[in-house]
Amino acid sequence: MDPRSAHYPRLARETLEQTPGVRDAVTQAALAFDAHRLRAYGEVDVDAWRRWAEQVKSHVLTHLDTYLEQAEARLVEHGAHVHWADDAAAARRVLDELVSRYGVSRVVKGKSMVSEELGLNDHLASQDVEAVESDLGEYIIQLLDEPPSHILGPAIHRTLDDIRRIFHEVHGTAPEATPEELCAAARSTLREVFLSADMGITGGNFVVAETGTLALIENEGNIRISTSAPRVHVAFVGIEKLLPRWSDLAVFLQLTARAATGQPVGTFVSLLHGPARDDEPDGPDEVHVVFVDNGRSRVLADPDAWEALRCLRCGACLNVCPVYRQTGGHAYGYVYSGPIGAVLAPGLLGLSETLPLPFASSLCGACAEACPVRIPIPELLLAWRRRAVDEGLTPRAERAAFRAFSAVATRPGLYRAAGRLVAATGGRMARYLPVLGSWESVRAPLDPSGGTVRRGPRHGGAAQPSDSDQTGAPGSEVEPAP
Amino acid sequence: MRDDVLARVRAALAGRERFPHPGASPSTARVTPEPGDVVDRFAASFQAAGGEVVRLPDVQRARQWVATFAAELTGVAQSPLLPPALRVEVPDAPPEQAELGVSLALHAVAETGSLLLSSAEGRLLQLLPPTHLVWVPVDRVRDTLAEALGTEAPADVSALALHSGPSKSADIGRIVVTGVHGPARVIAAVVG
Repeated sequence: MDPRSAHYPRLARETLEQTPGVRDAVTQAALAFDAHRLRAYGEVDVDAWRRWAEQVKSHVLTHLDTYLEQAEARLVEHGAHVHWADDAAAARRVLDELVSRYGVSRVVKGKSMVSEELGLNDHLASQDVEAVESDLGEYIIQLLDEPPSHILGPAIHRTLDDIRRIFHEVHGTAPEATPEELCAAARSTLREVFLSADMGITGGNFVVAETGTLALIENEGNIRISTSAPRVHVAFVGIEKLLPRWSDLAVFLQLTARAATGQPVGTFVSLLHGPARDDEPDGPDEVHVVFVDNGRSRVLADPDAWEALRCLRCGACLNVCPVYRQTGGHAYGYVYSGPIGAVLAPGLLGLSETLPLPFASSLCGACAEACPVRIPIPELLLAWRRRAVDEGLTPRAERAAFRAFSAVATRPGLYRAAGRLVAATGGRMARYLPVLGSWESVRAPLDPSGGTVRRGPRHGGAAQPSDSDQTGAPGSEVEPAP
Repeated sequence: MRDDVLARVRAALAGRERFPHPGASPSTARVTPEPGDVVDRFAASFQAAGGEVVRLPDVQRARQWVATFAAELTGVAQSPLLPPALRVEVPDAPPEQAELGVSLALHAVAETGSLLLSSAEGRLLQLLPPTHLVWVPVDRVRDTLAEALGTEAPADVSALALHSGPSKSADIGRIVVTGVHGPARVIAAVVG
């Protein structure tokens, strides 16, 4: 994906001007996800889980070389092939070689953020290889030729009517088709793809170094089929996705699901150990795991930003973010959006290429409270802002605004007072919070819930799920993935 | 390439604080304990995830129940690992054509409402038929996911899977639809 993060204010404005329904669609979906998370967090001793998970991920990241070597050795023992990619171009070259080696003409894909990061779909198309997304949300946005707007629900910015229209065009379903009828049309098309594809491509939620286990979490079953039916499975996995021990999995699987959708665990979890054994009835003959750096080792070297590498890609920080909810993910101009995108993108792509993103936050702190691995996102945002000012990357006015803002933001009482003031003035004050002004000018007020930004709907009544999703509103996939 | 990635990681970590592993994972017990014994709790959580549960006191009753359940079917994909007594008396069909897939769970998990399945019985019979029947001998029901996964990964199978209710998605207008790709019905038949 070509990053367009430098244009955040314009992209945000365009989203709100050109697709006014997006704000409501994203807000409703995000608030429903967040209500499920809050309930699910409350059922267990979640603070103990989060502290432990933070420590496990910090341990693995500060011993990453050792664990990568151990994971590689175990994967090879299982009969899998391991590849390494410095950057997106190198990852695409690995894929080219595998496509050529196995004579692949059709690929079925499971939802993977890292695949978006590497631009695999466009690349495969340019090589005359058909790549079909099999996650329902990804399939929808592939039909619409759009990038995902949320880690979990790639199509949450699209309404039922939008989807009815595109399915009517493509599949000939009735203009008033029910979600079940739309789903059935996608199912029958994709079933044929699963059974005819030469290769399945996925990301990975975890790789357990001790056992060489590739773990994948989802709700639809498309990843299980993509890793079982085609004769070749290729997984692109960021180098930060490791877990040390098999015994770490049980809590990480449950914590990821509770943070992402509020489920006790994803509907389907695959724990994969290489190609099918000789006595097994089915499963892939060849399994390839591609460890992708693509800027991660640079983030790891950063004494502040490295903590963002703990991210499980659950999407909890997006759901809880009053800024993300205004536009959805597209305005961020990169595959990772919302609060985690605003701290990861500058690290992966460089600060000058992504400059406005660290300012696309009210620093309300809700993201840090929601994060299952306790990434201190507001502190990281402030660190990036400070660097932008120090490096003279921000215009003078923004520098002044930032100084004023950070003076307020570092005094919690004052900041909360400022937040209330923003609400009280119907958003007019928002222009003094850098970047927030860009969407305030299109549609006031700052906070859709009517509460203050900081208190937000998390403590108010706006976060009730609708009747339609009270069973747990699964997203398409609980992928921290990528 | 491999050595370049590892060299950059090592350079990134040079002189940095190394954090220890915190050790055993925290308790996953619910703040408010769920009522009932372990089988009751599995049944409640599996049903909450959209699954169906049948309790059968012994193999004899299990055979009677499944004979009725499968009476109308013409093709079934069955795990080769099923004990003969639990095989369904319906002609075999490949998973992509079968009306029913039949598995034997390694474990059932109460805290997550999950069935732990092995690739040794075939993966596609667990995924492609519209209905999936999973036999669960009652002594295989575990309280926690950690107990079900055990202390080490099994060395002799290529894939373990947890299935917690039917395939579902809320990607269309946030309305939950079941049976997206995998089975629309999953039935855990607890025997004993």
